[in-house]
Amino acid sequence: MVIIIAEFFVVILKVLWAFVTAGAKWVVRPKEKSVTGQVCVITGAGGGLGRLFAKEFARRRAILVLWDINSQSNEETAEMVRQIYHELDTPVTQDGPVGGVEEVPPCQPQVYTYVCDVGKRESVYSTAEKVRREVGEVDILINNAGVVSGHHLLECPDELIERTMVVNCHAHFWTTKAFLPKMLELNHGHIVTVASSLGLFSTAGVEDYCASKFGAIGFHESLSHELKASEKDGINMTLVCPYLVDTGMFKGCRIRKEIEPFLPPLKPEFCVKQAMRAILTDQPMICTPRIVYMVNFMKSILPFEAIVCMYRFLGADKCMYPFLAQRKEAMNNNEAKNGI
Amino acid sequence: MNFFLETLKVLLLSIWYNVESFIHLFVPKKKKNIAGEVVLITGSGSGIGRLMAQEFAALGTVLVLWDINQEGMKETARLAKSSGATRVHYYLCDCSDKNEVYRVADQVKREVGDVSILVNNAGIVTGKKFMDAPDSLIEKTMEVNIMAHFWTYKAFLPAMIANNHGHLVSIASSAGLIGVNGLADYCASKFAAVGFAESVGLELLASGKDGVKTTIVCPYFINTGMFDGCQTKWPRLMPILKPDYVSKKIINAVLTDQVFLLVPKSMYLLAALKNILPMKQGILLGQYMGAFNLMDKFKGRSIKQE
Repeated sequence: MVIIIAEFFVVILKVLWAFVTAGAKWVVRPKEKSVTGQVCVITGAGGGLGRLFAKEFARRRAILVLWDINSQSNEETAEMVRQIYHELDTPVTQDGPVGGVEEVPPCQPQVYTYVCDVGKRESVYSTAEKVRREVGEVDILINNAGVVSGHHLLECPDELIERTMVVNCHAHFWTTKAFLPKMLELNHGHIVTVASSLGLFSTAGVEDYCASKFGAIGFHESLSHELKASEKDGINMTLVCPYLVDTGMFKGCRIRKEIEPFLPPLKPEFCVKQAMRAILTDQPMICTPRIVYMVNFMKSILPFEAIVCMYRFLGADKCMYPFLAQRKEAMNNNEAKNGI
Repeated sequence: MNFFLETLKVLLLSIWYNVESFIHLFVPKKKKNIAGEVVLITGSGSGIGRLMAQEFAALGTVLVLWDINQEGMKETARLAKSSGATRVHYYLCDCSDKNEVYRVADQVKREVGDVSILVNNAGIVTGKKFMDAPDSLIEKTMEVNIMAHFWTYKAFLPAMIANNHGHLVSIASSAGLIGVNGLADYCASKFAAVGFAESVGLELLASGKDGVKTTIVCPYFINTGMFDGCQTKWPRLMPILKPDYVSKKIINAVLTDQVFLLVPKSMYLLAALKNILPMKQGILLGQYMGAFNLMDKFKGRSIKQE
């Protein structure tokens, strides 16, 4: 009986202390860690957020390993990364050799590209094997690849539902299984899960996406507890939950027009900058914008009917309908073209 | 409607819903009559599935039982008949196989009729540390615990929508709200089940189909044998639950159209705290509750033959 009271007091003290430290973070920004020369794997690097992550890590001189199912956009990202590397190294090489001695840049980062379907387990494992052979051990894993079917559940072909699940959720299992063992051995690494705010609360029309993102978050949380329990404190995990990002993936999604100025779709650059800050300061979770925390908070304390009420008010209950309608139209247009 | 007026309306309604919830802590809600409804329960061969079948049977429903275990299902059917079910049908079905789900669903629609209460209860757990879990088991866990829900919904939801009458019950888990050490794939699948059921619930409301209800059940550990060996740190606060207690709560939630059911009651507080507190706090709280060691002595049931 005494033990539980004593432990309770300790817990209260720790809770208060943590609030103090969290508050301190608002004032004094913690130092960002260096990722120079570290090997960083980014899935879905061909588009949207993946490309921006690649560029950000390139600016910090990390060695980049880009995975995507689309080789063309993957190569485009690689080109941008090479450009950044070149710009970083130019001040050094511009002076040219002096007296016959050439200055060697401190670290010559490189970018590697691989075509990989992260939804397929074997593809992930074989590509990971190639990476280990050709590049080396992986320090940072960014699970970013994501798809959405763009159909209401009952109109959605089963293959698309399965595709959403395997790319958004199962893929994380396989990449983690591929790269975590070495991280555990070296007690050094960082796994980033790019989920979505639709993994914290859901909305109508994107059932497969919500299921997969909730799943990704559940896995992330459980895995981070497992790592904590195994006391491998050199391995960090960060969960990124952005609100709607303006990458074109959810083009057409719209909340109520009066609220929209306060909650516009996020600019991808802003979202990635916030995420980078969280990753480089070993923050466990980042939601952009901050109001997402508020929504999450409300969702956990209010009864369901009240939440539905708020959703309706914000126009969030039907926000995906214009997106789905646009997808349908695009598909019909495609069919019409092919029909002719 | 005018923006200010609507804001006011939402604020007032929100306050009212909270008050209503508080009142319902003391005043029990009216229970609906489900006599004659067709209730389909997956994983009804054992555990909670069997108990729910008996409870539903006592309310005069038509039962459709699915399980991968023929013997267990026969026993459940026998118990259900003796509890008062008008008709009991049972079908062998492996929920992890999409085509089998569709085939058996068609059979049910032909032989029994439209299902009006769908209880997605079938679930498996591997209970191994993530890196030690074989990939095939991870995939199986996902297939039974979440993918099966997609297929059953696709099979039975259209009729419910057409009649604007039905009830979708998803037996998830507290591990679908809070991540647990040692249950990485199970947590992924249960989080997904919660998110999916919620999303479908919201879609139904958005499309005006308020006759189709949703209930998402998130219990703590239940001593049905599925999580044998698991230990809870403070048994008075978070006891390992008795199966008949949980199944009674579930039936009650279905009859009162409750959307989220967390068992035991302290789980509501825990889930709320987890979302409110910063992550480090959540972890601290988890350690305090012994959440990190829940699965340490897990034995579970032997994996059934497929």
